[in-house]
Amino acid sequence: MSGIEGNAGAARVDRDLAFEIEQFLYREARLLDAERYDEWLAMMAPDIHYWMPGIQARYRADRADVLSRTRMAFFDDDLDYLTKRVDRAKQTTAWAEDPPTRHFHMVGNVEVEATALPNEWVVHSLVHNLRHRNETEEQTLTARRQDLVRRDGTGALKLARRLIRLQQTVLQAKNINTFL
Amino acid sequence: MTTPLGQGITPAELPRDRAPAPDSAPLDAATIRAMVDGEQGWIDRRIFWDPQVYALEMERIFARCWIFVAHDSQIPEVGDFVTTYVGEDAVIVARARDRRVHAFINSCSHRGNRVCFAEAGSARRFTCNFHGWSYALDGSLSGVTAEELYKDNPSFDRSKLGLHNARVESYGGMHFACFDPEAPSLADYLGDFRWYLDVLLDNDEGGIEFIDGNIKSRLKCNWKFPAENFVGDAYHATWTHSSALQALFGGAPTMKADRSFQVNANGHGWEFGLDFIGNAATLCEPEIVDYLRENEAKFAERLGKMRSRMVASLSSATVFPNLSFLAGHNTFRTWNPKGPSETELHTWVFLNRNAPDSLREKYRRGVMLTFSPAGIFEMDDGENFEHCTASNAGVVTRRRKLHTGLGLGSEVDHPELKGHVHRNQVNEANHRAFYQRWSDLMTAPRWSDVPAR
Repeated sequence: MSGIEGNAGAARVDRDLAFEIEQFLYREARLLDAERYDEWLAMMAPDIHYWMPGIQARYRADRADVLSRTRMAFFDDDLDYLTKRVDRAKQTTAWAEDPPTRHFHMVGNVEVEATALPNEWVVHSLVHNLRHRNETEEQTLTARRQDLVRRDGTGALKLARRLIRLQQTVLQAKNINTFL
Repeated sequence: MTTPLGQGITPAELPRDRAPAPDSAPLDAATIRAMVDGEQGWIDRRIFWDPQVYALEMERIFARCWIFVAHDSQIPEVGDFVTTYVGEDAVIVARARDRRVHAFINSCSHRGNRVCFAEAGSARRFTCNFHGWSYALDGSLSGVTAEELYKDNPSFDRSKLGLHNARVESYGGMHFACFDPEAPSLADYLGDFRWYLDVLLDNDEGGIEFIDGNIKSRLKCNWKFPAENFVGDAYHATWTHSSALQALFGGAPTMKADRSFQVNANGHGWEFGLDFIGNAATLCEPEIVDYLRENEAKFAERLGKMRSRMVASLSSATVFPNLSFLAGHNTFRTWNPKGPSETELHTWVFLNRNAPDSLREKYRRGVMLTFSPAGIFEMDDGENFEHCTASNAGVVTRRRKLHTGLGLGSEVDHPELKGHVHRNQVNEANHRAFYQRWSDLMTAPRWSDVPAR
């Protein structure tokens, strides 16, 4: 995942841009909370790569890659896959979505780094997701995110890459019926 | 406490067969036997809830049966290991210097601490963090810190202080562990089901390999609900998974009663159509379907025409007790019990070793999209399994048995198919066989008491 790893030497961006990107992420979180998935999809760049790899507990000395594109993942999606997931969520026969999940996405620790391109930025953030369902079900997902945010030809910000590093090696939930 | 049997309940309120015994009844063989009516298909809900039943399952099923622990391709080199579970017993599965696969309990012989904390990797030995005792790749004790302290100690015998080894036997590269010396061989345990497993493990001379990685997740359900779902629940597919089928295809596939079967042997079961590619088609990867079509004649050469039509068809299966798979999707999974109402799901993807390299990505992503915790099919399953379990908290709820009687009388003599064969994959014959096996094992003090059926 070259291009979205943290870069300590990256140039700082100005406050207005950082603010704009933070607002972009907060708006995205609110759209997910409201299940406004079509509007959420519209925030994606056409070449979006949305990746949530499976996390393994391995010894520090292990020479295997911590993250690998050839290993199993929860999400390793392009726009077509994301759209298929949204299509399923929108069906009236998505029994598990009715009554609806009460979604909660909290985004924090937002850092914006410049890249070699004037219209793309690496953005680090944390996401804390709570899902409440039915009577007392409560599931927590926390993850570190590394995004590539791009300003497209129309001036709009789009999400071009997202790496979601889940904190759990064993997912403490029956499913992931949301996006992080 | 529970109302004693019959007291305050009129016969008219009882289920048609007989009321289940109250939870306070001793768990003797007669009580357990009455929990499963394999003939008529009545299942006592207590088996999904009662901690006593669960404890006995750990002893009489998981500590006695052959439990899948690893595929050969996951640990190809000497020193490679994975950690997993047999029931609730943590085990290490490693390839030792003799190049054989060994499985042993992940708990030090000294104070009982876990000796391996990684889920996969490569090691020369497993060393306990507590006092530094170390164990070789075959589980034998290889090093003891300041061993001179044990000089002339009559109870210290290295040869008796190795990790607790399981028997390990394999079929088609699938390694199974068993902790009961009296259990039959893996070959006998699988019985006629080997002939069906060949559909996946031997449709090509290269066999299969597992793709790197193992997605793990926790469901708050009894382990038997997912196991029975895969052993024979074609019935749920079009209803539970309606949303995914609508989203991908605008409708559900047709399962043909006269072109589909349920088969079972020794409690293992496979429900399938003869449609060849039905499951594979839901992966939405045309290259996979192309590969299958191009190789159909070759599959038929190895397996015969009929079994070749099962290679990727609409189907699901379980090897008793907790190894399930989907042909065509190419996913194996195990349902690891974590108490009567919690299960840890381990999911893998596999493909033919000789398949084109480009298919690895297709299968890996296709299973992720469909049958993984975030998959658009599987996310509806967990919801069902959890609520089927939780509802049994109610003592009154548990008084009514569950009906598992679909397809009574559908068994047929088939000139080609082995084991017990039932017409129409939309059936619960495999559920009944699964629970009959469960009952046979739960009531048998020793393996020699388990009846052949």
